Amino acid sequence: MDFFSSLMAGLSVACQPHNLLFCFLGVFIGTLIGVLPGIGPVATMSILLPMTYGISATTAIIMLAGIYYGAYYGGSTTSILVNIPGEAASVITCLDGYQMARQGRAGPALGIAAFGSFIAGTLGIIILQALAPPLVSVALKFGAPEYFSLMILGLIILIFLVEKSIIKALMMAGVGSFLGTVGLDTITGVARFSFDIPEFLDGLGIVPMAMGLFGIAEIFVNLEKTIQRQVISTKITRLLPSFRDWMESKWAIVRGSVVGFFLGILPGGGGVLASFVSYAVEKMSSGTPGKFGHGAIEGVAGPESANNAAASGGFIPLLTLGIPVGVVQAILLGALMMHGITPGPMLLKEHPDLFWGVIASMYVGNVMLLLLNLPLIGLWVRVLRVPYAILFPLILLFCLIGAYAINNSTVDVAIMLFFGALGYLMRKFEYEPAPFILAFVLSPMLETALRRSLIVSSGDFTIFLTRPISSGCLILAAVLLILAAHPAFRKRRRKMLEEAR
Amino acid sequence: MGADRVSGLFWLVFGLICIYGSVLLELGTFREPGSGFFPFLAGCFFSLMAIIVLLRSLIPGRGFQAKLSSLWEGLNWHRPLAVGLLMLGYILALERAGFFLTSLILLFFMLKWLEKFPWWKALLIPLSASAFIYLLFHTLLKATLPMGILGI
Repeated sequence: MDFFSSLMAGLSVACQPHNLLFCFLGVFIGTLIGVLPGIGPVATMSILLPMTYGISATTAIIMLAGIYYGAYYGGSTTSILVNIPGEAASVITCLDGYQMARQGRAGPALGIAAFGSFIAGTLGIIILQALAPPLVSVALKFGAPEYFSLMILGLIILIFLVEKSIIKALMMAGVGSFLGTVGLDTITGVARFSFDIPEFLDGLGIVPMAMGLFGIAEIFVNLEKTIQRQVISTKITRLLPSFRDWMESKWAIVRGSVVGFFLGILPGGGGVLASFVSYAVEKMSSGTPGKFGHGAIEGVAGPESANNAAASGGFIPLLTLGIPVGVVQAILLGALMMHGITPGPMLLKEHPDLFWGVIASMYVGNVMLLLLNLPLIGLWVRVLRVPYAILFPLILLFCLIGAYAINNSTVDVAIMLFFGALGYLMRKFEYEPAPFILAFVLSPMLETALRRSLIVSSGDFTIFLTRPISSGCLILAAVLLILAAHPAFRKRRRKMLEEAR
Repeated sequence: MGADRVSGLFWLVFGLICIYGSVLLELGTFREPGSGFFPFLAGCFFSLMAIIVLLRSLIPGRGFQAKLSSLWEGLNWHRPLAVGLLMLGYILALERAGFFLTSLILLFFMLKWLEKFPWWKALLIPLSASAFIYLLFHTLLKATLPMGILGI
């Protein structure tokens, strides 16, 4: 199938009434939770994952993906109006967005964020469509050693980009890999660490674990603090950016889209890194860098475009190699596996409807978001005024019932609570949950690839170094680790992170 | 004791238990790795990292040196603890008392006791939320929710 006919086939899947409905639900919920500080896309996707049991895999991924990129749209609203980012990728938007709002330009700030996100999201999808098929043909040539080394590289890149201690991130990846082995050994059929609990034979579920580590832990942390929000109360008029606004933002949107897309492909990169890098690029390339931080529209347009393009970029490794680059993609991988589908190079061949349907649904979703975001800004502002004291008990109840509904078992609910408490303590003691969950998801694939490679090579570990792709990945991973351990680099990294905060 | 020393020690003990558990499974050989091979490697790896965290915590000015008590200083730590205990109670009671009653009690306690809402709000919100979730999961998504003494 050529590019155009693939797109048409995808659109025919995405435009089926039930897929349109779930796409709408996804982007609506995504925008809603993006608007609400205190609950992010990861927590929401984890909470809603059990609800996707009753629908097809394609519809489920369309909805979950909608939540993901919808949250980026919604996140900008709180950054601009309240100076509190709805989620991490909108942190940088606070700098100039809130200043614009204080100067009475909340409307154009919200407008350019929505348009920029739309343009970047669409550009990202076009690049995704063009890159995915050639990457699939390369991935088909991969064997077990290549997969093993690629997954190690993915984990190391994610660890390299963590905010806190790299040693602790490595440790969390180790713990995640270990916990991923709980359950029946797929090669020998031996039960491992299941303690005669039948629910553990299938392994610890990603859904209750992610719900706990991200959803419950986030609520626990928020409960300790008093959340106060001050919404800009002036009436928001004129959402459409002026001709001058467009002229000032056009290159920021293009640069943000390109930077965002390619950073989105990197493990651990995602929308957060993309938005920060885009802001830095805009400030550097501007003739008047002094106006940044005081209401520069490019400071809103660039990062908002970048984080949406990154959302599309993150799909490349997942759909073509079956390797998630972040927690969101790990949850999507979990959702696919829950429906009996293994993502990877064969996905395009075996499930073209899913592959192209999901990609095309992003076009549709982006149009919906544009139509949704601009007229509904008044509604989102009202939502922002719902007290957290009402929100958190409802979210908790939703989590409890969602976890129970997975297998009709309280064991899953207990797992969720356990990982909620663990996630809360991890945040307190400065351990990051992202390497933990990514390693947990990759663990079964990592183990199979390692054992197969060793069986093929008769126990010779040099198999990972004698094959060019595999050795290239491992060398790159080693370079990153050496760099991370270098004192000069550590100092620079710390400074960069402090500036970003 | 410093935060890193406590957490490093915890993960080291957990790592050693994991290594022991992996050895009890079959490690196999490099030619034919057994069921315990990969968990053994993972256990060794994170135990080694735990030792590094522990050693760094002994050097002044390195790692996360905050005292344990300072992690909760000036924060309402009792609130997450209370919510965690309420959730634990919910898990224990769910299959006996049923979805509707346990959900109602859980939400009521959170809103009335923890958040000090007026009686009418503390009753109305749990009632409507439980009814909504029942309709969504039971009626719409056909999920089986535990039926307790109330039959719902």
